[in-house]
Amino acid sequence: MLSVILIVIAAIFFTGIIIRTKSLASGRKGPGILQPIRDVIRLFRKGVVYSETTSFVFQIAPTIYFSSVIMAMLVVPFGQSRGVLSFNGDFIFFAYVLALGKFFSIIAAMDTGSSFEGMGASREALYSMFAEPAFFILMGSLALLSGHTSFHEIFAALHIGSQISYALAALATFVLLMIAMIESSRMPIDDPKTHLELTMIHEVMILDNSGFDLGLIFTAGYLKFAIYGALIVNLFIGVIPFQYAIPSFFAIQFLMAVSIGLIESFMARFRMSHNPQFIVALTSVSLLIFFGVLLILQKFM
Amino acid sequence: MVNVSWIVTLLAIFALFFVPSNYKAYTAAFAVVINSLITSWLAFPALSGQIVELSIFAGTFLGDIAIRIDGLSAWFIVIINFTSVTGVFYGIGYLKAYNNPPPKLTLHWSLFILFHLSMVWVCMLQNGFAFLLAWELMSLTSMLLVIFDHNNAQTLKAGINYLVQMHISVVFLTLGFIWVYSSTGSFSFDAIRIFFQSNNNTWLFLVFFVGFGLKAGFIPLHSWLPHAHPAAPSHISGVMSGVIVKLGIYGIFRIITFLNSDFILLGEIILSLSVLTGIYGILNASVHRDFKRMLAYCTIENIGIIGIGIGIGMIGIGNGSAIMYFLGFGGALLHVLNHSLFKSLLFYSAGSVFQQCHTRNMEHLGGLIKFMPKTASVFLIGAVAIGGLPPFNGFVSEFIIYIGLIEGIHSNNLSQILLFVLSLAGLSVIGGLSVLTFTKTFGVIFLGQPRTEPEHKPHEVSKLMLVPQYVIIAVMLSVAFIPQFYMQIIGNVLMEMNPVFTDMSSIVGYVNTISNISLYSLLLIGIVAAIWLLRAFVMKHRMQRIDATWGCGYVAPTSRIQYTGKSFSKPLGKILNFLLIENKHFDELKPGEIFPEKRNYFSHYHDFFERKLIDPIITRLNYSANYFSFIQNGRIQSYVLYGIVFILAMFILTVFNVVS
Repeated sequence: MLSVILIVIAAIFFTGIIIRTKSLASGRKGPGILQPIRDVIRLFRKGVVYSETTSFVFQIAPTIYFSSVIMAMLVVPFGQSRGVLSFNGDFIFFAYVLALGKFFSIIAAMDTGSSFEGMGASREALYSMFAEPAFFILMGSLALLSGHTSFHEIFAALHIGSQISYALAALATFVLLMIAMIESSRMPIDDPKTHLELTMIHEVMILDNSGFDLGLIFTAGYLKFAIYGALIVNLFIGVIPFQYAIPSFFAIQFLMAVSIGLIESFMARFRMSHNPQFIVALTSVSLLIFFGVLLILQKFM
Repeated sequence: MVNVSWIVTLLAIFALFFVPSNYKAYTAAFAVVINSLITSWLAFPALSGQIVELSIFAGTFLGDIAIRIDGLSAWFIVIINFTSVTGVFYGIGYLKAYNNPPPKLTLHWSLFILFHLSMVWVCMLQNGFAFLLAWELMSLTSMLLVIFDHNNAQTLKAGINYLVQMHISVVFLTLGFIWVYSSTGSFSFDAIRIFFQSNNNTWLFLVFFVGFGLKAGFIPLHSWLPHAHPAAPSHISGVMSGVIVKLGIYGIFRIITFLNSDFILLGEIILSLSVLTGIYGILNASVHRDFKRMLAYCTIENIGIIGIGIGIGMIGIGNGSAIMYFLGFGGALLHVLNHSLFKSLLFYSAGSVFQQCHTRNMEHLGGLIKFMPKTASVFLIGAVAIGGLPPFNGFVSEFIIYIGLIEGIHSNNLSQILLFVLSLAGLSVIGGLSVLTFTKTFGVIFLGQPRTEPEHKPHEVSKLMLVPQYVIIAVMLSVAFIPQFYMQIIGNVLMEMNPVFTDMSSIVGYVNTISNISLYSLLLIGIVAAIWLLRAFVMKHRMQRIDATWGCGYVAPTSRIQYTGKSFSKPLGKILNFLLIENKHFDELKPGEIFPEKRNYFSHYHDFFERKLIDPIITRLNYSANYFSFIQNGRIQSYVLYGIVFILAMFILTVFNVVS
């Protein structure tokens, strides 16, 4: 339960911090940290425009997408405290329930019959497919290392002791951060601020959404970030008592948001054709983690 | 009871010749239902652990044939019966739309009855010779069912392809049975067990695996599937894809029950092959635009997933791990059920689309959700379920296989750990690709706007076609929400299958987890419902407007500018162009051509294994076979001569005691 509250709080500030960092880095003052939330509230109050091509799929998809993210949030633990749902193999449920949301957001994009939205849908499907093995190899390695199969037990049993395990934690952070970037369609895979439909991924899929539905999609995006942030935090806090764990949760989330802001300020997005290579390379980083785990467990003997 | 079933079958086939063509389908349905009821009634006790043993006298040559229905047979029999019954009812509605001559219908429906019965018999017979007879009957009837549309050259070609490949399968199976016979002197299945106890296990198993794998569609033995499934009428493809390929899986399971050693080696072979099969199948499914061919490739993918479960289970037996045994085989058996459900569902709804639109090319379709909302919803449910996404049944069996893999990671053997981690990654790729495949298929066929002007407006199909699909969905939901019921049955089957693992207590935790997951799925549905209600409440006071799709400033869009299925999967095809071989046909613009004429461009994907492995072999075989064409010269006189020469040779050799 604790994790849900923390994730929601983090989600409220996360995107605001990214935007603020980007503004500061480019020498502007920038909007307040709560501006994204104000945008969402404004969207909830607005009316909607539906495309005449669309069917009920288009209307229900944002709801399912949002619910899937909520559901994924429920299985994320926080250090000692379990997630609301915690069971063996819950990380599989986590990945698959997010995939359900993706399925519906993709077909909603196809529902508009637009020439652009299908493009974004196709890319979203392709990139998240490529990111899938990285996540599963990472979780499989952690399961091997800890001897457990649920998020909570895996993270509670992770002890960062030797030098190799520091390296592993760093690599795992990198993989999770990059998966978060892919899933949330940020740089270097996708640029949320681009104005050209041909180069968009996530933004182009939601061109026709408006009002309440768009608000749901935005909120889900904010939550997704905080969820992946929470997973990264979990790599480190392990058995640390709450009075230290909770501040470090916010510190790490803050750090993550700032670093995303900095990455987006100083880096150009990849060429579209280079994205798959980059994402597949993540899998090899995951394999590195796996071999590191084998080293720690001395399975090579 | 078995006799009643035969009598009903014969009477029904006899009656089919006389009833008016409107009622032929109903006669067949009646016979299929009666046969299903009888055989299910025979099989039900076996599901709860009571093995049914019968014996029938089959003439002086075969003698008494043992019929034995254990849990494994019963599980497959029930699946066969269910899918055949839904198939026959869907088929009534499906064929009604076409004007077929009565003799053709008579033949078709008689074959369907025999086809169903032969599949059931394959699961019951415990004698190699009788088994092969039933197997052959099944292959022949299904081949004749595939070429229903025999005026089409493509269909005939696909049928012959199927026939030939099935006979290669029979050759391997016969070889296996003869091998056992030459060593033990018996065709009965128990002899296989005796053979395995005293001989090397690997080679005989692999011979059987090739035989059964051809039916199941493991790569590189899969190449009949993408031809036969699109060619067959949809109710046949539904049944074929739903259950006939599963009989290959049944055969593999059956042989595994007789195995005595080499579990780890064979399990590793099956596991690796299955991961590759799964990835290969879904990769091809994602690029194909003939939606029935795409479903056929998707069947190959699901065979891969089932095979992963089988591999885990075999390694589990080898390691002495009850958890892996139950999770692997249990996941595989549950996925057999699940796949038979959603694949027949998808083939039926795809058949409804074909019946209304007369094309299998999804690039000509679009926007069908407005004309056929029920079919579209059914297809959507099937698509979500086959992607293994919660809250449907596909997730349950894939989840079991996943946790089987993760259990495997905890083993002590380095090569096994590697294999399991890579399989985990492979299975996740399969999941990701099936999202891509089915969003594309559903999106292109049902959403957006029609891409070409249809000849006549498609409309929703008849109730007779929809009701079987609703029934399938009901069973799918029962698997999704009360999985513990099915897990219990599978547990019984598995405890009976292996004498070592007779205790399910090691996986009680997992069974609870799995039944909890169905509660979590309900929670997910609850959250969706709550947000939907909230949305409805909020939207009541908001302005709603219907307008054109955002066209980026372009104000005269046509349906031609929509994203197509080809372009949807093109990035993937481009990345993996070494595996997904694309052939393009177009005329280059000539240098001097000032006013370009209208020109055509089309491209299609080839099957890698067919192109690189099977075709070259066939070409070379044809080349060398040409030299012997003087033997098969088409003159009856020569053929009679061969017979005489053979008889003379036998006579002379016997006289001189060369053969006895």
